[in-house]
Amino acid sequence: MRLDAAAYLGSWPFRAVEGTTRGLSGMMQELGLDHALVSSLPALFHADPEPANRDLLRRLSPTRQSRYGDGAKNRPELWAAPAVNLHMADAAGYISRLARDPKVRAVQLAPGFHGYATSQTGADCAATAQPLEEVVAAVADAGLAAVIQLRMQDERSHPPTTSIPPVPIEEAIALAERVPTARIVVAAARQGELENRSHAERIRALPNLWLTTTHLDGVGCIRRACDAVGVERLLFGTCWPFFYAKSALLKVEEAALSGTESDLLMGGNARKAFGR
Amino acid sequence: MEWTPQRIGVRWMLCRREEERIVRKLGLRDGSGDLARRHPIIDFHVHPGFSRSHRDQREVMERILREARFHHVERLCVSALGDLAESPTPAQVREANDDVLSLMSQYREVVGFCYLNPRYPDEALQEIERCFAAGMAGIKLLISCKASDPLVCPIAARAAELRAPILQHAWYKRQGQMESESTPADVAVLAARHPATMIVMAHLTGAGERGIAEIAPYENLSVDTSGSEPEAGITEMAVRKLGGRRVVFGTDASGRGYGAALGKVYGARLPARVKALILGGNAARLLARRASGAPADNRPKPAAIPGGGGAGR
Repeated sequence: MRLDAAAYLGSWPFRAVEGTTRGLSGMMQELGLDHALVSSLPALFHADPEPANRDLLRRLSPTRQSRYGDGAKNRPELWAAPAVNLHMADAAGYISRLARDPKVRAVQLAPGFHGYATSQTGADCAATAQPLEEVVAAVADAGLAAVIQLRMQDERSHPPTTSIPPVPIEEAIALAERVPTARIVVAAARQGELENRSHAERIRALPNLWLTTTHLDGVGCIRRACDAVGVERLLFGTCWPFFYAKSALLKVEEAALSGTESDLLMGGNARKAFGR
Repeated sequence: MEWTPQRIGVRWMLCRREEERIVRKLGLRDGSGDLARRHPIIDFHVHPGFSRSHRDQREVMERILREARFHHVERLCVSALGDLAESPTPAQVREANDDVLSLMSQYREVVGFCYLNPRYPDEALQEIERCFAAGMAGIKLLISCKASDPLVCPIAARAAELRAPILQHAWYKRQGQMESESTPADVAVLAARHPATMIVMAHLTGAGERGIAEIAPYENLSVDTSGSEPEAGITEMAVRKLGGRRVVFGTDASGRGYGAALGKVYGARLPARVKALILGGNAARLLARRASGAPADNRPKPAAIPGGGGAGR
């Protein structure tokens, strides 16, 4: 299994991106991937992400995929990570409904986009119907992973009218510590955040926490990330169509991973993170 | 073989002919990313870390070169920025440039770029003479003052005489823009004042659509591909607005790596010949000007042809 743990479909409000199923299929073929965990870009911006999630699940249905694939044998396996906004009433109920769909392997939580805090002491926490910790426990009970989206874009390059605050990585780590039954996937961590000695030590000690490689950068970034937190904690991710997918693959190629390391990074770890 | 800017230019031209021959032979209308790999790649934007220790800098440079060689990057335009002081003293600038001269003597891939602080005009001009006499090939300007500040004019004028390119930092930051940090609009002012000076504005992703639109009218102004994450479509946008001959590959290593940076070019929906220009052809042309002694071509040109006459899908 070679899996992209961070792919997206749909449009981005501030510039054109190729978020189509056909494009996704082409990207996966080019990179030699056979699985992808896919979220909806519009759902990040919608107060109620349910319609965008419905569209995502419709696009990922095998019937629709077959229009673009070349037969069931070569068809990529597409899993979904629909977004849940904690400001919505009955988030836990929505999660249990989502879990009935076998394609759904994770739930995406994007506190920066939907405007809620990740810690119980956060200023906005009281405004949410349910605290994040409870929702993450509900995600775990439903047999799903929780993807915590720290960011999408470099904060310096956000559009002039819109600033979306990043989620501090230590809060995502603390969440994994507080809810040990949950499988937490931290999406879009930066190299410095991961290499911070205190963060790295805590991440290494958490068997229920993984990080995507999407936003790692710098000379030797993947090798350094392996050294910092262990390859067992990393999931290959492209952030396609927001990023050039080729960049993600070149970062791995230059790391000169061993066969075992490569197998873990490209899919082995994902089996544990997203298995049902 | 010892490196000269002219040799890079010749090597690139030979490779381009080879590519055209392959394209003709195979009947290809378009090339692939692999075809672009046949060309010598030049990284126009490299720093050997921000430590003052020579040993640390050598270690960083070794790591950068290991990765560069893996990706077949043949030349690296290196400038040292000391400890990133906003307005370094002449002594600090000199020390940083000495570090680069040392790296030039150790690694044949290193092309030295001379770091300057325009706030010390006399010392800056003296430093240009010293560094170019020692073999440096370009000038690096960071955040000491805005590119639109008249303090930069003597440096730009001397760069034109030397036929040496200036790599000028710029960014449109949503947050954290420093008072003396240039925006693309500042760099456009500099380019307009000095049409005979070849300028490469750093950080395509930092400039964004607005920044690229602002520099588009100035043919002596290019952009490097460095900055931020590899946001899809950004390279195609730059080629669409500037043409394929005004986009130059740069990483901003060691803070950024080759995998992510090269993906911006290999992953872009552009013809192979445009990718080849971005990866090395344009940089080779800028660096070879100094060696060739040919008159600068600063004549006004018509609006950029998409893809440098060949962009598109």
